[in-house]
Amino acid sequence: MIDEALLKQVIASVLGVPVETIGPDASSDTIPGWDSLKHMNLVLALEQTFGVEIPDEDAAEITSYALIKVVLQDLVVD
Amino acid sequence: MNRPVLNTMARAPLQVLADPAASLAELMGAVNAIEAEPSPAAAHIGVSAGATVDLLGLYLRRHALLAGVRLQVSQGNFDDPMGDLVRFADAGVDHLLLQPFLDTFEPAFEARAGLLTEAEIDAREAELRGRWRLVLRGAAAFRTVILCGLHRITAPVAGGDRLDAVLARLNQALREEAAAHANVRFLDMANLAAGVGRLQAFDLRFYLRNAAPYAPALLDAWARQTLAVTRAYGSRFHKALVLDCDNTLWGGVLGEDLASGVRLSPQSYPGSVFHRAQTEFLALQRQGVLLCLCSKNDPGEVDAMLEGHPDMVLRPADIIAKEVNWSDKVENLRRIARTLNIGLDSLVFLDDSAFECEAVRSQLPEVAVFQVPASPPDYLAVIAAIKDLFLAGAAATDGAAKTEQYRRRAQALAEQQTFATQEDYLASLGLTVTLARDDAARAARIAELSQKSNQFNLTTVRYAAPQIEALMADPEAAVWSVEVADRFGAAGLTGVVVVRFGGEVATIESLFMSCRVLGRGVEFALWPTVFADAAARGARQVRASFRPTAKNAQAADFYDRLGLPLIGETDGVRSYAIALAAFEAPPSPWIKVLA
Repeated sequence: MIDEALLKQVIASVLGVPVETIGPDASSDTIPGWDSLKHMNLVLALEQTFGVEIPDEDAAEITSYALIKVVLQDLVVD
Repeated sequence: MNRPVLNTMARAPLQVLADPAASLAELMGAVNAIEAEPSPAAAHIGVSAGATVDLLGLYLRRHALLAGVRLQVSQGNFDDPMGDLVRFADAGVDHLLLQPFLDTFEPAFEARAGLLTEAEIDAREAELRGRWRLVLRGAAAFRTVILCGLHRITAPVAGGDRLDAVLARLNQALREEAAAHANVRFLDMANLAAGVGRLQAFDLRFYLRNAAPYAPALLDAWARQTLAVTRAYGSRFHKALVLDCDNTLWGGVLGEDLASGVRLSPQSYPGSVFHRAQTEFLALQRQGVLLCLCSKNDPGEVDAMLEGHPDMVLRPADIIAKEVNWSDKVENLRRIARTLNIGLDSLVFLDDSAFECEAVRSQLPEVAVFQVPASPPDYLAVIAAIKDLFLAGAAATDGAAKTEQYRRRAQALAEQQTFATQEDYLASLGLTVTLARDDAARAARIAELSQKSNQFNLTTVRYAAPQIEALMADPEAAVWSVEVADRFGAAGLTGVVVVRFGGEVATIESLFMSCRVLGRGVEFALWPTVFADAAARGARQVRASFRPTAKNAQAADFYDRLGLPLIGETDGVRSYAIALAAFEAPPSPWIKVLA
């Protein structure tokens, strides 16, 4: 299982927003500043924090909290 | 495997920054936490890059904060250094990081390099020089300008490929352009990537998608290097290295193990590590670092080590200040700073004792403190870090010894102009020539010189070390080595004469010298000694010859100038002979010959 509190914390740190703003429907449409540069940093940060390697085809697509959670769930081996 | 980020976030932010394993998210949190405290930025760096390097800013701030510097980072536009210069100057930027990137020449330049003709590479180089020359001129007002070298991202080909050759040329051009400005330093990105490891250095996904080739590991190393090159953004300038003795200069404790028992032999571990450490310190001294000793020891015993121990690399003349006594090291460091008339923040202190290190850290926080690790193999990394502190910001990133040589030569040239005659000038140099006959310890260097000497090489015979050793052992031959020194320094073993004896005839089989020492009369000064030795072996006549090669034309008339009569010439091979009794060496009173 993904530690959702941790996930929210990482997303908030990288995007530079308060952790409360990361709700289940958070996405690059709802959070100002979630641009392609920040997204790149986010992918790197997620990989480091969760010890996974996000495949290239997913890396560009996971621009919402829900999608990130789905992809990480698949990658993290419990 | 999950890393417990939330827990580690409870650590003090500076602790997080100092943790090499801290993750990106942790670093961002820690940097932001520290910078949330209002405090004016102490320095401002502008990053002008040909690739996307936004994340570099985080690592630049990380290392600056660790060095106690609040750093503001401004990112320039993509591949627009001229425009960035104007914007950065307006914004009050004081340090500048310039990064040319291969792909800005044209897409997939790494692949293109293999297709370029020589003329196209020439044109590339000219364009690169022209562009960055303009930028560097426009950057004269910035305090430090770092010009980054070009590098490959793809794996190298064994034995090298055309891209390597193209990169070497373009980087050489950038180095030269950088060297023309006192405030510009060249940063070798290929070295940086090699240090990190290529697979850790680059992220091909983001390289190909976002023109962001650098992975966090490289960005981190790049930022650390930038801190070093800017001397922590102008906040520090280390001048002196203060060394403990026991377990720092040698293994063991002098007072207990005695001079005969300390570990310092270059041939056996762990003495070899300490011998190497001393050699590194000596190299720093030669590059302008002041070496000092601060040791709890008997001063007489330490002096005896410095003066007499056969394996010591450091000698009394290399140490500018010594505090060898039984008093407090903190007090001793203060005294050293006073003696040298420099600030405590100019001192770097190296000691093996955790107690001493901690005492200095807590009482003299301005002093940079390094501890010699308990395990000798770890010592090398500590020395590398110390070298970085002293050398990274130095002008010569390109072989400091070479720069030193050029500096000496420039100094010698400057002096040359103020003398009435060439002889006066030469006399002022205090030249000494040391001749050694059949010294087996020098055989390897002699062979090496025979392989490398082309221009002043009369017969161009190439020897291997065993051949030289055999000649040295042969009673029918003599191998002379020539070492030249002047008051600017020693040039080392720079000349060789090989003589063969047969009855009453001594034949000069070889004469070769490094071009660095020509023009001072050394090539003339050595013959009285060589010929006297030949006479003592029963020779009455000397023969010599010159064999032309593609490169040795400058030596064609050397024996004529020495005063040997030409006795024949066939196919360019010039033969000379003279009775020893008739030989008179051209005078060279400005040279002192030691045999």
